[in-house]
Amino acid sequence: MTLVRTGALSLLALAGGAAIMLLTPSSSLLGMFTQAVIYAIFALGVGVLLKQNGLVSFGHALYFGAAGYGMGIILSLDWMPAEWAMLVVLVAIGVLAFLIGLVIVRVPGIAFGMLTLAIGQMVYLLATRARGMTGGADGMSVNWPATLFGVQQSVLLKPAILFMVAWTVLVLVTFVLLWILRTRFGAITEAIRDNEERARFIGITTTVPRAAVYALSAVVTGIAGLMSTLNTGFVSPENLHWSVSAITLLMVVVGGFKTALGPIVGAIVYFLFKDLLGDYATHSMAIFGAALIAVIVFSPDGIVGAVQRLRKRGSLQGGRRHASGH
Amino acid sequence: MLTINLFNGLVYGALLIVMSSGLALIYGLRRVVNFAHGALYMLGAYIGFSVAQYSNFWVALVAAPAAMAVVGVLLDRYGFRLLQDREPLNVMLVTFGLLLILEDLVVFIWGKSNYSLFTPELLAFPVNLFGNEVPAYRIGVIVVGAVVALGLTLWLRYSRMGLFVRAASTDPVTTSMQGVNTDALSAGVVGLGSALAGLAGVVAAPFLSLSPHMSSDVLIDSFVVVVIGGLGSLAGAFIAALLLGMMQAIGAVYLPEVSVLLPFIFMIAILIWKPSGLAGSRT
Repeated sequence: MTLVRTGALSLLALAGGAAIMLLTPSSSLLGMFTQAVIYAIFALGVGVLLKQNGLVSFGHALYFGAAGYGMGIILSLDWMPAEWAMLVVLVAIGVLAFLIGLVIVRVPGIAFGMLTLAIGQMVYLLATRARGMTGGADGMSVNWPATLFGVQQSVLLKPAILFMVAWTVLVLVTFVLLWILRTRFGAITEAIRDNEERARFIGITTTVPRAAVYALSAVVTGIAGLMSTLNTGFVSPENLHWSVSAITLLMVVVGGFKTALGPIVGAIVYFLFKDLLGDYATHSMAIFGAALIAVIVFSPDGIVGAVQRLRKRGSLQGGRRHASGH
Repeated sequence: MLTINLFNGLVYGALLIVMSSGLALIYGLRRVVNFAHGALYMLGAYIGFSVAQYSNFWVALVAAPAAMAVVGVLLDRYGFRLLQDREPLNVMLVTFGLLLILEDLVVFIWGKSNYSLFTPELLAFPVNLFGNEVPAYRIGVIVVGAVVALGLTLWLRYSRMGLFVRAASTDPVTTSMQGVNTDALSAGVVGLGSALAGLAGVVAAPFLSLSPHMSSDVLIDSFVVVVIGGLGSLAGAFIAALLLGMMQAIGAVYLPEVSVLLPFIFMIAILIWKPSGLAGSRT
């Protein structure tokens, strides 16, 4: 896919979002869509780590929650305007994740998953037990200013506007990710993922690019965290809990992690499915656990992978029929 | 104050030995990080609780591990064996899905309320240890940890089956070419590992309360233990489990504010120094 084509598709996606916004009748449904879009951004973050590094994170809720807490703390201390605060929070998350990444991407892939779980849960425990400003287990409210980027808060928080903002952010993040993965950086990280030893032989340093992918995925997750606190005006240790990481990972795997768009599909499917379950939602975790197992056993590359295979098979059969006609 | 904390650290370390040796055994043979291990621990505790309601603690101490052994054998036969050619990542995610299902199952059967199992009468007396009164039951937990550690070491080193397990952990293909039935062996080892998770659950039930959240804390600590110890290394896991228990105990005295962070700081320090863990050489 060329950059121009990606850009054109992004514009198309933006128009599609506007259509969804205009055609959705109820604001509660739009609210659910907004949540789905925010988790789609989150899933993109977890997905890029899996796709480019081949590493599974069970602890990305750390960056999701940290963005909210960072924002909440800066805003309540009134250090700087909210627009700058967002930038500072994202840069801080990127730097922090890069440093953590330098340590943990060196361990074997399986231990990596266990480590991310442990680090994430450590921060969760810290947040529940903290006192003072962050409110411990009760969480803290995030006091967004009256105007953000020159838009009145009352306007910004209208369900339709908020949905469109989240959707635009999703499209932008996807575009930037697709662009980054097309650069030399994307090629290098893929080479390291496929065979670290060979990558080293041809003179590539292997730890730094992998830590950079980890940082990139953390920043994308942080963007989702910021959108979530804008949506709810609240952040609590629940945002940091490992089950949040788990649900997002589930979206990534069910959607399909081998393509860039799989995580988005996974997030949308998850929220639609959850809405359909309705009364059975108390057992949603068991149902999602079973769905996860089913997807891995029958279609390890997720829904997107299954669709691609069906399409390929369809076009092959079409071709054969065409040939036999002659 | 310090002695009693060191003692409690030893108790928790013993529990972690039982938990993480199961994880290490299963990893050694199947190369699977079993996320469902925490759920098996929890299931063991709840089954132990229910059995103890109808009979007594000692029956529960046998019944729960036995039940988990059956679950483990089935898990290996219908899970790990069928998925053995898949990427380790896929199998890990399957066990993770299993964890979600089993946690929901526990809530479905036993509800969300907390329970606690009474200390068995035989061990419900205080013991004087260096001038501190400690419950005899906790000494019993340390004994269980020691017996498991010693038993597994002797079994792996001196029995014929232990030899097969060591061989299959190093090279499953060559081992099966030599005529060892590695499938049956794996089923046995996964059964044993799961039984150890169930044992840890019953043993923990009288001093840690039963709740649907009990699995994640111990699972995460066991993960830290096996990563620090070196994946698949039993000796490494034993040492790391004791170190972790002690570290939390000492941290609770001197650094109460950050005691929850100590295991993780310790883990990161070890991994910077040695990415494959204390006793790890294989990847």
